[in-house]
Amino acid sequence: MTLLFQPSPPDHVPPERMVDFDMFHIPEGVSDPAEIWHDLVRRGVPDIFYTPHNGGHWVFLRYEDIVEAYRDHSVFSTYQTPVPPIEPFPVVQPQGVDPPAHNVFRRLLAPMFTPTAVRGMMGELERRAAVLIDGFAERGACDFITDFAERYPTGTFLYLFGLPEERLDAFLALANTFFRSTDPAARAQNIGEIYAVLDQLFREKKRNPGNDIATQIVMARDENGAQHPWEDILNCGFLLFVAGLDTVTNTMAYIWRYLATTPAAQKHFRDRLDDPDGFLRGIEELMRINAVSNLFRRVTHDCEYRGVQFRRNDRVVLPNTVANRDPRVFKAPQVIDLDREVNVHLTFGVGPHRCIGSVLAKREVMVSLQQWLRRIPEFKLADEQPAGSVFGGSVMGFTALRLQWEVAAKRAAA
Amino acid sequence: MRVIANHALCQGHARCEDLCPEVFATDAVEGKVVIVQEEVPAALEDKVRLAVRNCPEGALRVAKSGPAEGAA
Repeated sequence: MTLLFQPSPPDHVPPERMVDFDMFHIPEGVSDPAEIWHDLVRRGVPDIFYTPHNGGHWVFLRYEDIVEAYRDHSVFSTYQTPVPPIEPFPVVQPQGVDPPAHNVFRRLLAPMFTPTAVRGMMGELERRAAVLIDGFAERGACDFITDFAERYPTGTFLYLFGLPEERLDAFLALANTFFRSTDPAARAQNIGEIYAVLDQLFREKKRNPGNDIATQIVMARDENGAQHPWEDILNCGFLLFVAGLDTVTNTMAYIWRYLATTPAAQKHFRDRLDDPDGFLRGIEELMRINAVSNLFRRVTHDCEYRGVQFRRNDRVVLPNTVANRDPRVFKAPQVIDLDREVNVHLTFGVGPHRCIGSVLAKREVMVSLQQWLRRIPEFKLADEQPAGSVFGGSVMGFTALRLQWEVAAKRAAA
Repeated sequence: MRVIANHALCQGHARCEDLCPEVFATDAVEGKVVIVQEEVPAALEDKVRLAVRNCPEGALRVAKSGPAEGAA
């Protein structure tokens, strides 16, 4: 097989820009995977550097350069970007396609995730959060990941795709293999299984249209009035499956971990349960501080950017968590200010591939925290946390997060 | 005060709509900003300024009231 998108050896990289950095490796004793990125800044490595790990790739550390890479798709493409490099890689729609071709599916999806569309989902988002939390509130403890943070966005996916609740555990299993398995054979089989599920789903929606996103995708027509290519429909379903689960799960995990160790922040949100604007301002700040995604781009042609030589197919990794604490952009960037007024964080990216689900994702987090605080008193981290429960990579996060709280005595005795 | 949107830059984050829904909305086709009232009431000027400063794309700006620039 001819490989078309492999990076060349890094003989164009000057030694002063070479840094030994493995984004997938979280050293023992590091409890927050984002710290491996912030450590680079503290060490003063160049703000554009190259690491030979994971097939070799650049890293941008400045807000301004990360924005440039998001915006300028003529140099920094989203087509065939995986780190480490894998070929062929599924071309997800519309994320894996550059403008203008990407506009076809972008426009198809855009109306489904506007603030107006998301407002129509709020009742169901609230109900789903309440049901899950009621399931463990009186236990006085939970594993936040397995009891809530992975079930909630997966349930939201089922709801948006018009799938029955009984499918939740099957979808969770598919997602967990996809996001956590490091076995290439298991991963290849898993991707095949996800596509088979999507194929069956879209066929069913074509036969029996429903009031859901899957139906809208399969029934959409291109500019000639024809159905979109079946492969693109599957690739779009695949994107919605993979983009809205792990990211939301781990953003929530980060946020609840912070709240569990910061009673004043819990009180801040509890005091604003009837102040949606103030509540959202705090959520926006937690979004800035807890940016879990490190995104990939591929250089389209040999070129120079900011005095640095790049070669075609060089990979570039964009750590949003670093951009979001750039002192050139944010006042007191290391301070978590839940009333921060100006907050142009890059957690959802910018430019043509801005996370299309950003409004929904924020509402999922906001509704979950509101429902949580209405049901659960002050909570903290359990004394025992499983070892090795953090991971790095393109999404950073936690495989376990044990929380505990006091249960009212009369209820506990009943 | 007037508020002006650059639709070529807007990517539909809807941060402006969150911050000042009286002035900003999102269209149902492309998911981009719609200015509901271009002429900003005095009582909303601070909220609109904050929305402009929070646009991650720099797609919004304010201008003095009066005829649109370039109209002459």
